[in-house]
Amino acid sequence: MAAGEDVTREDVLPIIASPKYQLINVYRDGLTYLSPVTKEVDPIMVFEFLHRFSDIMLEYFGQVSETVIKENFVTVYQLLEEMMDDGFPLTTEPNALKEIVPAPNILSKVITTMGATTSVSTRKMPHGMSNLPWRKAGVKYTSNEIFFDIVEEIDAIVDSTGKAVSCEAHGTIQTNSRLSGMPDLTLSFVNPRLVDDCSFHPSVRFNKWESDKVLSFVPPDGHFRLMSYRVNLPSQQNLPVQVKPSFNIGANGAKFDITVSLRNTDGKPLENVVLTLPLQKSTASLTATCNVGQYMFDPVGKVLRWDIGKILPRERAPVISGSFGLGASSDATVNSGFNIGLEFLINSHSLSGLKVDVLKLFNEGYKPYKGVRTMTKAGRYQVRA
Amino acid sequence: MYNMDAYLKTLTSNAVKLSKKMQDNLAEGTRDFRFENQAHFLDTNEDKMREIRKNLDSKYEKEKLDGLKRLIAMISKGRDVSEFFPDVVKNVASNSLEVRKLVYIYILRYAEQEQDLALLSINTFQKDLSDKNQLIRAMALRVMSGIRVPVISPIVMLGIKKCVTDLSPYVRKIAAHAIPKCYQLDPAQKDALIDIISTMLGDNSTYTIGSVIMAFNQVCPDRLDLIHPQYRKLCKMLVDMDEWGQITAMDLLLRYSRTQFLNPIGKLSATPTTRVKKEKSNVKSFYSDDDSDVSHHSSRSSDSESDDENNSVDPDLAFLLKCALPLLQSRNSQVVLSVAKLYMHLAPAQDSYKIGRPLIRLLRTHREIQYVVLNNIVAIASQRPYVFDQFYQHFFVRSTDPAFIRNLKLDILTLIASESNITFILRELQEYVKSSNKDFVTQAIEAIGRCASNIPAMAESCLGGLLKLSYSKSDSVAAQSVVAIRRLLQQRPGDCIYMITQLTKALDEITESLARANIFWLVGQYCSQLSTVAPDVLRKAAKSFCSESESSKLQILTLGGKVVAQEGTSSKTINLLFQYVLNMARYDLDYNVRDRARFLRVLVYGEQKSKKISSGDHGQEVHEDEDHEEHEDQVEDVGGFEYNEKELKLSDHVKAILLSDKPAPVQENPSHGREQYKIGSMSLVLNRAVAGYEPLPDWPTTQPDPSVRRLAATMEAPGYMNDRTGFGSDSVYAQSRQGQSGGFGGSGNNGSRYGQTTAGPGAQSLDKFLESSEEETDSSDETDSDEDETSEEEDSSGEEETSEEEEDEDEEEEEDDGDKDEGSSSEEEAILPPSSKRSNSRR
Repeated sequence: MAAGEDVTREDVLPIIASPKYQLINVYRDGLTYLSPVTKEVDPIMVFEFLHRFSDIMLEYFGQVSETVIKENFVTVYQLLEEMMDDGFPLTTEPNALKEIVPAPNILSKVITTMGATTSVSTRKMPHGMSNLPWRKAGVKYTSNEIFFDIVEEIDAIVDSTGKAVSCEAHGTIQTNSRLSGMPDLTLSFVNPRLVDDCSFHPSVRFNKWESDKVLSFVPPDGHFRLMSYRVNLPSQQNLPVQVKPSFNIGANGAKFDITVSLRNTDGKPLENVVLTLPLQKSTASLTATCNVGQYMFDPVGKVLRWDIGKILPRERAPVISGSFGLGASSDATVNSGFNIGLEFLINSHSLSGLKVDVLKLFNEGYKPYKGVRTMTKAGRYQVRA
Repeated sequence: MYNMDAYLKTLTSNAVKLSKKMQDNLAEGTRDFRFENQAHFLDTNEDKMREIRKNLDSKYEKEKLDGLKRLIAMISKGRDVSEFFPDVVKNVASNSLEVRKLVYIYILRYAEQEQDLALLSINTFQKDLSDKNQLIRAMALRVMSGIRVPVISPIVMLGIKKCVTDLSPYVRKIAAHAIPKCYQLDPAQKDALIDIISTMLGDNSTYTIGSVIMAFNQVCPDRLDLIHPQYRKLCKMLVDMDEWGQITAMDLLLRYSRTQFLNPIGKLSATPTTRVKKEKSNVKSFYSDDDSDVSHHSSRSSDSESDDENNSVDPDLAFLLKCALPLLQSRNSQVVLSVAKLYMHLAPAQDSYKIGRPLIRLLRTHREIQYVVLNNIVAIASQRPYVFDQFYQHFFVRSTDPAFIRNLKLDILTLIASESNITFILRELQEYVKSSNKDFVTQAIEAIGRCASNIPAMAESCLGGLLKLSYSKSDSVAAQSVVAIRRLLQQRPGDCIYMITQLTKALDEITESLARANIFWLVGQYCSQLSTVAPDVLRKAAKSFCSESESSKLQILTLGGKVVAQEGTSSKTINLLFQYVLNMARYDLDYNVRDRARFLRVLVYGEQKSKKISSGDHGQEVHEDEDHEEHEDQVEDVGGFEYNEKELKLSDHVKAILLSDKPAPVQENPSHGREQYKIGSMSLVLNRAVAGYEPLPDWPTTQPDPSVRRLAATMEAPGYMNDRTGFGSDSVYAQSRQGQSGGFGGSGNNGSRYGQTTAGPGAQSLDKFLESSEEETDSSDETDSDEDETSEEEDSSGEEETSEEEEDEDEEEEEDDGDKDEGSSSEEEAILPPSSKRSNSRR
């Protein structure tokens, strides 16, 4: 495992083949995870493991970076040791791993340092695994709560007339469970038929979903992704936002103006709106004015980035207009199009309309507090001009 | 009073001492606390190195830990720290688990180099194998089997044997992991290890079984006879295994099924179930005719007919496919792909549509996984395009996609293009031509060409689009479109003349040499139908000959030769034009052009003329030309001529030689060939067999005895193996709950993820297994009697429906009983190792 970065790192093949070896590499958070392979193996299994390892580090240390790995290298070593045995994945469930390799946290450090010399040896041995590998045994909370975050991302390609060429929503239900004992939960939705295709955390009972369209599961402790799903949206779907670009290309420059207007957000504001416009490499200069937010032109990467911020419904639509000059070698540009990227976020809104109905708890006596949040974000949102 | 005073005095002095000690401790503690960041261990100067040995010998665990951490840091930096081996080995029996774990990491790393010293640690491990904590037992076996010292292989063997019967499924899992390691250490143990594997295959813990199968695959992948009695059980347990176990199990079951069942796949065109697919197959056969591959096609259709007759799926195989289906919803991409592998290689072709949607879902995950999945989709789509043709939108290229993703998506779009989606795909492809990335534009144009040749009905509009593109101001776009047009026209001679005339009009504007060369060639090839245009093109070409590129010059020469051959040597103007070109070429800088000119001169005008011009040795020259000719794809077949210098006048045959029909190029998808590899494999991604790749076994031609799988009904697994702990089988804790709360009917059933998958003893017949869930609703809280009942149950028709309903009722009951249940399964339960819990429920 080595850290490194390269300008064109994104374009490096995930499997680099040589006659004898294959280098399976994963690029994530600015780090490269490398796994050399000498014989036939299902490559996705390796990718899946490397990503799982990265997930686990994230779970343990809160963030993953070169410094974090250096600061926790002993823990990282122990994790690798437990997760992989002779080239085969062994224990990959965070709850089970935490039984074997304690996660570094301030409290346990304070205790061990205060207790100084004696307590290290008498530290309680982990007592064993629970029946369910994804759930720790003997969990106790004073207040029992469980939070569901339904996050949907819109992937869309919109053509210059504002029509969606392709459009779909991907949702995940991120869960934070703080429940005591061995709770057995059943979560039902108001409109489960919306879900086109989905995948579950291993704790979810497949057949219950098949038969009743409810999620029946014993949750792991802490954070986990309960479910991810895909919703096919009709191509006439009213997207929450419309981008109207217009480009007027002349001999050695071009004029443009782009309007972003709200549509169909249930009266909710659009937040953190950022529009990016990559321009030709031959672009020399750019001047623009915008009525909302501020813009920045990166003269090296040739990218215009317009930070719009918040767009409230029934407010004047943000517009940016300006012109840019093209350098001498503008041969191919005459014909080429522009691809506008858009980021945004809508709180308490789900594009698909998926809603949680009831959460039932069995096997434990308490009444848990249930929190549900929804959010819609732009995923891979691209507007062609 | 005095007493009191003295007492107070000692008290204060003690208090002072205590507070001082506390302060010291605190000071030390905070110093440590500051350093809790492990990064400082990575600082490896020599002073610190010397400290390590001292630390390791310290009586304080904390210092030992520091020393070990520093050692691990050295290892991570690639330094050889084997000199500390004796100091480290001393700590192997430390009371602190933390110390031990680090010692293990160190030992595993250096044991191979320090074999003798490593033996010192073996005693401790052997002792640990009997520790009462399952984690310690497991860890001991893991380290022991990981030490690559051949001498200890008998001891490892003993360790495995001991742990195989361990009550804890975790320890058994580790034992299974140790088997391949022991095999590598000493291959002579193979037979004994196979015996162990064969026993362990009877294990009913979903936690263990995945690792057992892994060991099986590593040690004795060919002993499929051991699988017979376990086959049904493995299918049944599939859904409850852990993710990695599911992957290996599906690998095994795939290999097994390929040797034990008759081929149920059927042929691509034999999809009688749905009309849509019928249409697809018609399209397929339509253009396979076009490829003039009639014989192949007819054999295929006759195959499919015969297949239809014995296309019944063995019930055992159908069972496997049914059990694997829910795994398509796993969060693990490899599990999903493994199911896809099963369905592609085992299931009837019409079932493969089931894998489309889940594979599309994987495209949203990490880019590396997306890359591999796209590769697999290419392989699947090239055989069964109908699996994906409705998902074409998902393969539209985004501006942010890296190159390798982009190209794969284009491949897939051309593969899945069908009459229903072609208009959308074409519109999309034309959008890509606008990109500023030249490679991508080239690929997109090629893709348009491929679509057109795959769907003849659309070729017209594709050609129109390409023609428009050939006027493009961008050279590369124009060049590529001309190339694509040329390929298409060769396949469709009917449309030629109009298109070529259009192209020649654009000739003045097209500067890209590749495009010009292609146009020249096209004009030459079809000059018989272009009697007015062709000579004019030759005239223009002669004018600009000097400024043309090498490839264009060659094509101009060929064009000249063809026009002359067509018109005969009678037409004076044309002859003069051609000779002008020949003369220009004679003094060209490029030897290829000179060669070609000489060759054509001799070919067209015969030897007399060439004698006058060239003084060289004719025989040799012609011979050279002959070679040359073979290299060029212009002249198809030279072998037919009886080569005889004296008698043969090549010029008599010049028309036949130059103007013979050229075979239309077959446009192959660049990723062609992948489909021969197993879905999901590395070889498929790289499109070549990687070391260690094992092709799938061929289907048997006669049905092997299916009764072998029934043997298991009589086999009873040893008691410890019926422990149902493990991944997914929540049934166990439901049972233990039952034991405590006095039991309410059917909770054992309630827990299982897949209603009917509650693990029974050994394996039962299919029908029985389907009912087992129902039976269990009536069963008492004793596991054993429960098992007996299910295995002895009579065959009545399955009633899954009712059992489901009961399940729901149970849950409501549970809610009522909530108070009664409270805490029953939490602490006490979980703290006990699963094994002891089991004995609880047995009592």
